[in-house]
Amino acid sequence: MDTLLTAEIAANAPRYRRKSSTFIDGIHDVPSEVGNLAPAQLYSTMSGRLFHSGRIAIVMVGLPARGKTHICVSMARYLSWLGVKTRIFHLGDYRRATVGQGGHVPQDYFYPNASPASVMLRQKILKKCREDIYGWLNHENGQVAIYDAVNPTASGRRALAKEFAKHDVQTLFIESFVDDQEILKENARNVKISSPDFHGMDPDEAAKRYLKRIETKIPVFETMAEEELNYVKMINAGQAFFYNNVSFNYLSHRIVFYLTNLHIKHRTTFFVRAGTATEEDSYKADAPLSAEGEAYAQVMAETLMRHREQERQAIIDQGGPDVPLRPLTIWTSTRLRTIQTAEPLRELGYKVRHRSQMSQINPGVCEKLSERAIRNLYPEEVEKHELDPYHHRYPRAESYHDLAVRLEPIILELEREQNDLLIIAHESVLRVLYSYLMHCSTRDIPKLKFPRDEIIEIIPAAYQNEAKRIHIPGLDPRMIPGSPEDIRIPVPPGLEDFAGGGRQLSPISIPAMMMGSPPSATEVTIGFATGDRKGSVSFGGDRKGSISMSNTGGLRSVSGSFSGGERPVTEKIVNNTAKEMVEDKVGDED
Amino acid sequence: MAPKTNGVGIRPEETRICVVMVGLPARGKSYIAQKAQRYLKWLSIPAATFNVGNYRRNDAPHPSADFFDTNNAEGERKRRAAAEAAVADMMKWFKSGGVVGILDATNSTKERRKWVLDRINQEGVDVIFVESKCDEEELIMANIRDVKTTSPDYQGQDPEQAALDFRNRIRNYEKVYKTINADGDEDHLTYLKIMNVGRQVIINRIQDYLQSRIVYYLMNLHIRPRSVWLSRHGESMLNLEGRIGGDADLSHRGEEYALKLPELVLESVGSDRPLTVWTSTLKRTIATARHLPKHYNQLQWKALDELDAGVCDGMTYQEIADMYPEDFQARDEDKYNYRYRGGESYRDVVIRLEPIIMELERSEDILIISHQAVIRCIYAYFMQKTQEESPWVPVPLHTLMKLTTRAYGTEVQIYKAEVKAVSTWRGKGSTAKHEDPTPEGGV
Repeated sequence: MDTLLTAEIAANAPRYRRKSSTFIDGIHDVPSEVGNLAPAQLYSTMSGRLFHSGRIAIVMVGLPARGKTHICVSMARYLSWLGVKTRIFHLGDYRRATVGQGGHVPQDYFYPNASPASVMLRQKILKKCREDIYGWLNHENGQVAIYDAVNPTASGRRALAKEFAKHDVQTLFIESFVDDQEILKENARNVKISSPDFHGMDPDEAAKRYLKRIETKIPVFETMAEEELNYVKMINAGQAFFYNNVSFNYLSHRIVFYLTNLHIKHRTTFFVRAGTATEEDSYKADAPLSAEGEAYAQVMAETLMRHREQERQAIIDQGGPDVPLRPLTIWTSTRLRTIQTAEPLRELGYKVRHRSQMSQINPGVCEKLSERAIRNLYPEEVEKHELDPYHHRYPRAESYHDLAVRLEPIILELEREQNDLLIIAHESVLRVLYSYLMHCSTRDIPKLKFPRDEIIEIIPAAYQNEAKRIHIPGLDPRMIPGSPEDIRIPVPPGLEDFAGGGRQLSPISIPAMMMGSPPSATEVTIGFATGDRKGSVSFGGDRKGSISMSNTGGLRSVSGSFSGGERPVTEKIVNNTAKEMVEDKVGDED
Repeated sequence: MAPKTNGVGIRPEETRICVVMVGLPARGKSYIAQKAQRYLKWLSIPAATFNVGNYRRNDAPHPSADFFDTNNAEGERKRRAAAEAAVADMMKWFKSGGVVGILDATNSTKERRKWVLDRINQEGVDVIFVESKCDEEELIMANIRDVKTTSPDYQGQDPEQAALDFRNRIRNYEKVYKTINADGDEDHLTYLKIMNVGRQVIINRIQDYLQSRIVYYLMNLHIRPRSVWLSRHGESMLNLEGRIGGDADLSHRGEEYALKLPELVLESVGSDRPLTVWTSTLKRTIATARHLPKHYNQLQWKALDELDAGVCDGMTYQEIADMYPEDFQARDEDKYNYRYRGGESYRDVVIRLEPIIMELERSEDILIISHQAVIRCIYAYFMQKTQEESPWVPVPLHTLMKLTTRAYGTEVQIYKAEVKAVSTWRGKGSTAKHEDPTPEGGV
């Protein structure tokens, strides 16, 4: 087989690409629509390329267990958010696709003096991957291709830059260089220990063996020192950077700025709505919390504290270390109701920061108008809005796009933050921040729902983030749904891709098998994602639902039956891909 | 250094940073210091520069190159005393609420850097060293000619002589100069090293977001000559009535200004090289820009919209004073921080303008057509106006402003369109619909 089809790659490499719901991190999706601007994209150009930069290949350099995947994925997330069309090409996917399921590359595959057969195999794999990169940059209007591979030798990198230049593509190398043994061990432990090879072994020992194996497999690695190439060397997960800039400008500065804020510590982000305000519930009034709103703030705080404590206990019960909780920081907007919602937590001694950028979307002339009134007064605007709810802006109002641009500095601080973070904000702000972390398309963002009886928790992982919802019990059902101060034009029916649109109460798109099934009894099978948090599911199912959980080897399943529930209780939908990806990554050499 | 935490997870935001410049003379240290200070102050981060040279001049106003020879004990003593005085003043300033202090000196030896680090850390202030290292002779010479021959050290001297003496002064520094971490024993320092005007950059041990922001900002600075043009929209129908905010059309005279603007811009630019035009999303700025040449690229930014007056939008000042007397008074007392009910303050506007400033710094010729409060904020950035001053700066209608940044400040040129318009400036306490700006008004 001389020519591999992209479809074959996709079929043979489970983590290639997939379609996803808004509840699954979409960072690896192939964007389906053309002309779909990114959340914080400032402008568009005819060529589709931004920041006065042409086509760019970002070439990763570094041995396995150096956090390359984490860097690739985070960078792609940020660049896409800015509107730069970015796609990651993992060379490992191509290699796996070529050798087939369960196959292995020859022992000398990475050796400098490899046998002719190995060299040929290597060439074939590289060729296919690069063809895809060119195809994407030249014919699909891509701007940044992130090429994720080891690229261990200086001569190889020089040849690569030359080849890209021939295709009119600029090259920026990003090396992740790690010589801190602690970081190495931690990285190895996080991703690799689930391998059967290391089963039952002491994690430290497993990590050590794994690192040893890399050394034997890839005996030659030269760190970057090529003066004539553009490169950023990230040393020990961001402790230092060396930046050799021959011909690059803004975009690479921006990448460096982003990387200086990136860290590899594990921490979670919680999203929660503000409580309800007094009857003068409008954008301009900035009313204080009502009595119910205050009660809500109290219950929310208690639920969150309980949840964090339970999580900690769960880790200990599973034999994990008994470590204290990570500190928690709270961010609110400068609107009264968000500040007051944080009050119970502040009284407990938590630090609360107020950020004016996190104020809700400005409804402009639509403030306090009913849907009917808006349709009567601004029929043309409604028409435009229904065509593009993300970018359209009512007179004097902000669009979601405006909001995303305003939130950009918050995104970087969000990356920098090392404490657990609770964000209390208006639904519109939560939508945009959530869409950054979960990579939602701009079509979905205005539709995301954050009912008041849920705390959303985002758990980061190298390959993709996970979202989870924590139920806040005992709330008056009237306070749960959407924001009264919103623009009251519902999501246009034409764009509704959700079954049973009328009772759309949660941001999750229900998997196909659930669609159309009556809410009385539902069976859901859920696969679990990566990392060390496997057992930590929380359930919002105290509304006449019962949930049982069983552990069937690698894949756990959760089944729930509900009677008369308003909505299906799908606590955590994580696709199998992530799980497979981790197993797939074991023994990985890319 | 680990991030500061305590038992319940309080992480003090009150980080204080001392930016310590490092590098031989004529490497653009003062330019970098000046730009950083301007940017931070504009973001409401209290920042100040402490130039050791200024302290030394008290003691030795016109020293010759020998003074800077390390073998000259007297010179050495005086220079050390000047550094101590500068640091002592900076510490005093930190105690009074300073956040980012910039120590502008050569700090060219390891010993000096160690002393500075210890001295400053001792007061609980973090240190980030910013080194500008440059070996390109041509660039250094240009720097020497431009800046140093106008230095107070050489006042009244023959420029040729001055340049020669200055060259010798640099030689004396070169004898002892050590770039940061040259020997590998300064790896514990937090530093940014910019080599040959950004050809290579080293960033080491960034501790927090503010530091990363400073580093990013400094990386975006470029030294290609360029200007920024600012104009308000043409006079609007609401301007005529003395009403604030709104989204009104242009008046007749406003239309006249829009027609005249291309000519005015051409006169100011002096050639037909295209500008990029940024407007707000409101009708009056878009209408004002619509007659500009077709080959000018135009972009609309929501971030350039007028300060949102919330409930007061569309009112006259008299109506506001009648309906919200307390608000009206509160605003005059602290106009920069006063946030309209359901609206914005000047401080909020500055925060939302931050991405605009970053784009401006990296771009070349830009023409911004926006609104009174927004132009005031951008003007304040370039002209280093304080928060007390900036909300009161007169920005008349039908006037084009050209700002050009130079090493030690910004140059302003004003072009009047000679199309009549009402004044929208308002003095402190006044509720007049239209009044002429007075020099003392407000400030």
